[in-house]
Amino acid sequence: MSDATALLVHPEGNPPPDLLSALAHEKVAFTVRTPDAALGAAGDEQPVPVAEVLLAPATMPPRTVRAVSRRMSETGPTPIVVVYTEQDFAALDQHIKLGHDYLVPPFLPPLVRARLRSCYERAKLSRTMEEVEAQAELLSYERELRIGREIQEGFLPEGLPMLDGWDLDVRFSPARNVAGDFYDVFELVNRRRLALVVADVCDKGVGAALFMALIRSLLRHTAEHSGLQSLMTANQLMPDQSDGGPGGAHMIPVVGATPLMNAVVGTNGYLTRNHSGQGYFATMFFSVLDPVTGNLVYINGGHNPPLLIPREGGPPHPLEPTGPAVGVIPDCAFSLGYAKVRRGDTLFVYTDGVPEARNAAGEFFGDDRLLELLREPVPSGRALLARVEGALWEHSGSAEQHDDITMMAVNRAVAAG
Amino acid sequence: MPFSVSVTTSADTATIELSGELDAASAPAFHDTIEKAAAAGVGHVAIKAHHLTYMASAGLRSLVFARQKMGEDVRITVAGATAPVARTIRQAGFDRSVTLVDE
Repeated sequence: MSDATALLVHPEGNPPPDLLSALAHEKVAFTVRTPDAALGAAGDEQPVPVAEVLLAPATMPPRTVRAVSRRMSETGPTPIVVVYTEQDFAALDQHIKLGHDYLVPPFLPPLVRARLRSCYERAKLSRTMEEVEAQAELLSYERELRIGREIQEGFLPEGLPMLDGWDLDVRFSPARNVAGDFYDVFELVNRRRLALVVADVCDKGVGAALFMALIRSLLRHTAEHSGLQSLMTANQLMPDQSDGGPGGAHMIPVVGATPLMNAVVGTNGYLTRNHSGQGYFATMFFSVLDPVTGNLVYINGGHNPPLLIPREGGPPHPLEPTGPAVGVIPDCAFSLGYAKVRRGDTLFVYTDGVPEARNAAGEFFGDDRLLELLREPVPSGRALLARVEGALWEHSGSAEQHDDITMMAVNRAVAAG
Repeated sequence: MPFSVSVTTSADTATIELSGELDAASAPAFHDTIEKAAAAGVGHVAIKAHHLTYMASAGLRSLVFARQKMGEDVRITVAGATAPVARTIRQAGFDRSVTLVDE
């Protein structure tokens, strides 16, 4: 019993001498405290000792005994309570009803030892039970999270549409069970246009995952059911920028621009009206592609600029934000951006999990390394994603993935499809 | 660099000093600090970000939270943001909600 520890509480600090000598004989390490000191009420801020057994006089009210036990369990294990008495056997009654153990004279070392040993066995058993329960609880959480993940997968498209002359590919790799990233691909305007969405809900975990489900549904539902009536005034639909390079030409009016604008403005309005207290928002790139011409109209809501890679290689053309992140600023204006995907060009859309992937030393993959990978001509969407993915794996090695990673590549074949 | 946050309140200004990396793991501490600053009822929240090396989207969420908590008449400034942090704030369009200042 040499490794046993006990806290002995006694009002006058002079517990029964026989009990003390029995504890000493059995090599029980014990500390004696008055009830006030054990409760931290003595004014000396003395910490309560860590002990497996709490020995208290039977005359001490059960409520005080429980308070000491609770205080001990804040810094150590919950102690087994053993009450002792020399004469007042009636006082044992109230404690025994509560399941406390007891010691009565004679305090002979073998008797004290036998009683304490049975206490330890009980303590050990109850600790094991607590561990088993905690383990079971953890397993149940994990199961719930797995279910959450399965449900969330239902909020991603089942497959990617096959389009003549186009090669589409995506990668989606959540950092945890559930993700804040998402992507979506669906047909619009009697299958004449293709909506392409990549978005990143801020923060992580279950909260971000719930908002992912909400935002994806609002965007898609609004886009699919918006009809042609615009929620916007005409001047908000006018493009306010003209870029050179492979982006470029102005194309107004643009088929598909109305569902696009309605989806983003409607989602922003819904979130700022109904969920502003929670502080969740999403950065997103929502574009509508005309597969026949390669014309692309988009809204970039605070998202890291997607890159349009020219067929001949060289520096990619960034599609900069045309508005803020969605869900933060009420009634804010989103502009439309325009680009053209020429034959052989590739659009690469990604979330910040790509440049912010870390290696074991904590270093980011970085924008420069990503841009370098995109300077080479791209044979297909699939090949581009394999190229980036390979470089990410090489960089990260065995390091833990910190953030969700989503990538989408949209490559237009060189020859007419 | 590990994240740290401290706050000092004087007269009408709560000064919040951030250093290290503000990500999903460290954002709750920043969140609590903002709650304290909001409770103090100041007219200006000055965030010193000179030693903040990285801000993830969870950190941006804290800024949004600060904006929503404080009320429109409270000025929120972010001083000395490093290039990556300033870019993160600008890209999301939050330079309309908080003011980036050089200091």
